This record gives sequence, C-alpha cells and structure tokens, in this order.
Amino acid sequence: MSVLLESSSTSAAMRRNFWAGVWRVMKRKPSRMVGVVLMAGFVFMGAFGPMFYPDPLPRDPNLITRPPSWQHWLGTDDQGRDVIALVVTGSRYVLLAALVTAVITVVVGAGIGLFAGFKRGRWDSVLMRLTDMKLTIPGLPLLLVLSTVWKFGSAVQMGLVLGLLSWGGVARAVRSQTLSLRERGFIEAARGLGLSTTHIVGKELLPSMAPYIAMNMLIAITGGVYAQVGLFFLGVLPYESNNWGQMLNTAVFRSGALTVPSALGYLLGPLLAILLLTLAIVLVVDAMDEIFNPRLREE
Amino acid sequence: MTIIARRLAGHLARGIVMILVVATITFFIVRSIPGDPVAANVQKLIEQGMAPEAAEQATRVLYGFQPKGSLWEQYTDYMTGLLTFDLGQSVTHAGAPVTDVLAEAAKWTVLPVLAGTLLSFLVGIILGVYAAIKRSGKLGDALAISGSLLHGVPQYVLGLLLSAVFATLIPILPADGPVDILYEPGFNAGYIASLFDHAVLPVATYALAAYGGWILAMKSSVVTVLGDDFILAAELRGMKRSIIFRYIARNAILPLFTILALSLGLLLGGAVFIERIFNYPGLGLLLIESITMRDYALMGGAFLLITVAIIVANILADLFYSVIDPRVRSGEEVSA
Repeated sequence: MSVLLESSSTSAAMRRNFWAGVWRVMKRKPSRMVGVVLMAGFVFMGAFGPMFYPDPLPRDPNLITRPPSWQHWLGTDDQGRDVIALVVTGSRYVLLAALVTAVITVVVGAGIGLFAGFKRGRWDSVLMRLTDMKLTIPGLPLLLVLSTVWKFGSAVQMGLVLGLLSWGGVARAVRSQTLSLRERGFIEAARGLGLSTTHIVGKELLPSMAPYIAMNMLIAITGGVYAQVGLFFLGVLPYESNNWGQMLNTAVFRSGALTVPSALGYLLGPLLAILLLTLAIVLVVDAMDEIFNPRLREE
Repeated sequence: MTIIARRLAGHLARGIVMILVVATITFFIVRSIPGDPVAANVQKLIEQGMAPEAAEQATRVLYGFQPKGSLWEQYTDYMTGLLTFDLGQSVTHAGAPVTDVLAEAAKWTVLPVLAGTLLSFLVGIILGVYAAIKRSGKLGDALAISGSLLHGVPQYVLGLLLSAVFATLIPILPADGPVDILYEPGFNAGYIASLFDHAVLPVATYALAAYGGWILAMKSSVVTVLGDDFILAAELRGMKRSIIFRYIARNAILPLFTILALSLGLLLGGAVFIERIFNYPGLGLLLIESITMRDYALMGGAFLLITVAIIVANILADLFYSVIDPRVRSGEEVSA
C-alpha cells in the first residue's frame, strides 16, 4: 500500500514539474504563447465557426468582387459573399482533412518505423525498401495523376489518400530513433527480463518517443493543409464544397485576383489563414522542442 | 574506384526497378480511368458529324493505338515502347510524339529551377553560418525564425504573394508567360531581356521557398561542427578566426551537397504550382494541362519524366557524396 502511494505521489510531482517546465518555456518567449493561442483559435474555428454563419452564405448581386470595406473586411467574392465568412466556413473541410491526414501519417509511419527498427533483419529491409520507393515517387504529381481516377469526395476521403501517401518520412525517422533507443540500457534490461515485445514497444519505446511523434503529427497537419489546398488551387478536383483551396482557385483563375486589385481581398483571405496556421504550428513545435529536449534549454 | 562502380551498379538496378514500378502505376491508372478515353474521342467525333469509320480512323491516328488484345498484351506493348523512348503521341499537341513535347517543356522547367535553387543555396549557407555562430543573439534568432517560417510556407503561397505584390499592387514585373510575344524569338536583346524579366518572379519564388531549408540545414550542420575536437584544437593553437571559419564552413557544407542534388530532383515535381501561377510552359504546367485535357499519354510521360529526374538526382547525390567525402569511401572499404 505504502509503495503504491509513494509511486503515485512521485508521478504527481513529476507531472507538476513537467507543467512548471512547460510554463517556464512558454514564458521565456512570448511568441510561443501566440502560437498556442492561434492554434486554439483554429481548432475553435474548425469546430464551431460554421455555426455562426447561415448555410448557404447570403449572396448579394450588388456586392460582386468588392475591395475590403467596413462591412466586409476582406471584400467579397464573385457572388457577393463575405470573404471572411468564406474562410471560416471553409476551414472545417481543410482542418478535418488535415487532421485525418496527420493521424494516418503518424499511425502508419510510426507503426512501420517501430516494427522495422525493432525487428531488424529481413522485415526491416523489406519495409525500408518499400519506404524508399514511396519516398522516391513524387507525391504531388502522383496525387495529380490519381485525381483523374479518384474524386476525393469528402474531407475524410481526402485525408485518407493524403495520409496513405505521406507516411514515408515519419517511418524513416521513427525507425532510426528506434534503432538508437533499442541499444540503450533500459530496453536491453527489459529484454533481459524476458518481457514481451508488445510490452517493450508499447510501454518502454513508445512513451520515450511520444513527444517526437507528436511533433511529427503537428508537422503532418501543415503538410495535409498544403497538399489539399494546393490540389484544389490547381483546379484538378471537381468543386465539392467551400474550402480555402477552392477559394484560391476561383480568386486567381476566375476573378482575376492577380490582375484586378479589387479582387485581392478574395485571394488574401485564404492566404492569411494558411500563413497564420503555419505560424501557429511553427511556434508550437519550437516550444515543444524545448520542453522535450532539455539540452536546448541551457543554451 | 571499384567500390564506386559497385555502388553505381546497385543504384542503377534499383533505379530501373523504380522506373518500371512507376510506369506500371501510370499504365494501370490510365486503363482504370472511368470512361475509356479512346471510346470517348470516337463518340465526340461522331457527335461532331463524322462517319463512325472515319471517326475511328481519326482516333487511331490521334492516339497511335487502338486498345486491343488482353490487358497483358497492352502492358507489354507499353513497356516495349518505353524501352525505345516511345511514349506514344500527345492528343492535345496535334499528335506530336510525347517525348518531343516533354523535351520542349523541360527546358522551361530546368533553367528556372536551377537558377532559383543555386541562388537560395548560396544565400542560405552564408546566412546559415551566421545564424549558427550568433545563435544566442537577436539577429541569429531572427534568421532562424525567418528560416522556419519560409521553410514552412508552401510554394504557392509565396508565389501568389509575390505575384500580388510585384505584378498587381506595384506592377513592375510581368507575371504571365515566359516571354512577351511581341519579340522575335532568337538571339536579340529585346527577346532576351523579356525572357529575363519574365523569369524574375518564378525564380524568386523557387529561391524564397528553398531558402528556409538551406539556412536551417546549414545552421544545424555548423552547430555540429563547432563542437568537433579539431575546431577546439585550432582555437587552442591560436589560429586566426578567419581560418577557423573556413574550416567550419568547409566541413559543415559537405552534407548539404547531398541535399542540393536531392532537392533539384524534387523541385521538378514542385514546379507544378509555380508554373501554374506564372503560366510558365514547363513540365508542371504540361502535367496539369494533360490532366484537364485528359491527354493520357502525355500525362503518363510527364509523370514518368519527373520521377526519373528524382531517381537520377538520388543516384548523383549518393555518388557525389562518396566522391567528395573520403570518410564515406574508407568506411565502405572496411565493411566491403
């Protein structure tokens, strides 16, 4: 009983220390706080944003492709809809697809990386040959070619395809981490004790790699956003629903945002959203880097 | 030398397997496209008022083939065509061989990509060394952050922003097409100046998009070298700072050459966005056009060429690295 109490109190203390460390890292650079706030804002926007607007958005034939004004901060689109409203309602598709992409990228990538790195031998070489092949085939051109067969109907489908095409980098990185970790003392001790492979991988390897995997997941989210927005921007996918890539495409190739300055707001809306999301993720990853790599703190 | 030859043979074998895999993927994608493109074309011609036989004949001439025989026969036909660099005929380019269309487009991609990458490489490594040495200072920090941000932003965002600022808001640069049509193509001043003018924004976009990666890679490379014993030894011997600096730069730059070769290959694939934005008639735009026009032979050819470029870049990167870094070579000899 006393042993139990002791261990739970030390883990509570560790947790407290951890959050104190997080707070210290955050305080040292206010920019990181900005990143966290921005990220929370994007999550809120994707989850609840569309509820604040009527569906479909009101069209106004008197307000077609207007420059920014007090009523419409970023102007209106070619159907007289408010650009900010479009960015907010379009965020759900983009963020949901990116989340699915990131989850699949990380689960498949980390799974393959852990398995290959831990098993070594024949499985390792087969899986890594496969990964190399995956990494060599250029992702965007392959997506473009695939778009002639698949329609990427919903956000989840889009995320699924993107995720299945982007696990390569994570698999390589996790494998090399696993290779170095498995030679460390605590893993060797666990193996010496005859613990099962699932226990060693799940309870010993995975926790020490979790921060690293979490950072990869954040980076995979930006990758997912870029890829799908880019695909819609290029105009190879059919018009499914309102999203940032679709907005960019209409702004540039239909409303002539690059030749008519009054349509610039229409272009800037999605661009700003992408830039802010990138900024948020870069800042949060920077903070996580310092939280989980204490060596960086001493600099 | 034999080790390098053996490496080369291994790489070539793997590269050929990759090319076969990619060719197979494109073959099956084209075959599985809903609505047979050949049948669709026959149908279109009949609707335009052509007699059925004539429409079939015209389609046969256009596509250079009429799918017949089993799937396996079609596949072997396609693969033997590849061996002789026969990628079929383009439908949209008046039946010209796909290889010719690709060669014409490739020059519009390769030169800007090369210029943009080399430019960003030079600027990136110089600022990267600075960011590493002054990494606790304000300016070093700012450089690193600018690197992370630019590294994180996708190419098309940079391209659209540059185009919006320098072609729309302050119209000082052209952002449409590779050259003004009013000039006679050839070696005259007006034409060359116009080519140059039109290349500024695309090249700047390539350069800006790649710069972040270089500065970050160089910074971390320099930081690693700074901790090496030979730097400490040089400092202890009281060597001049400029000489130590040269030691650091020379050793830190080695791993970056590998990334340089790799990124040249990868950029060909990424050229899609920049060429679409600036309406630059390179491989990327060709790929997009072939997809929207459903020109499947051209689509498969462009995809294959982009992949081959990446494979070749991979092989060159590895060979180049083993040539310039003796440590890699000697390590191989011991293990071999």
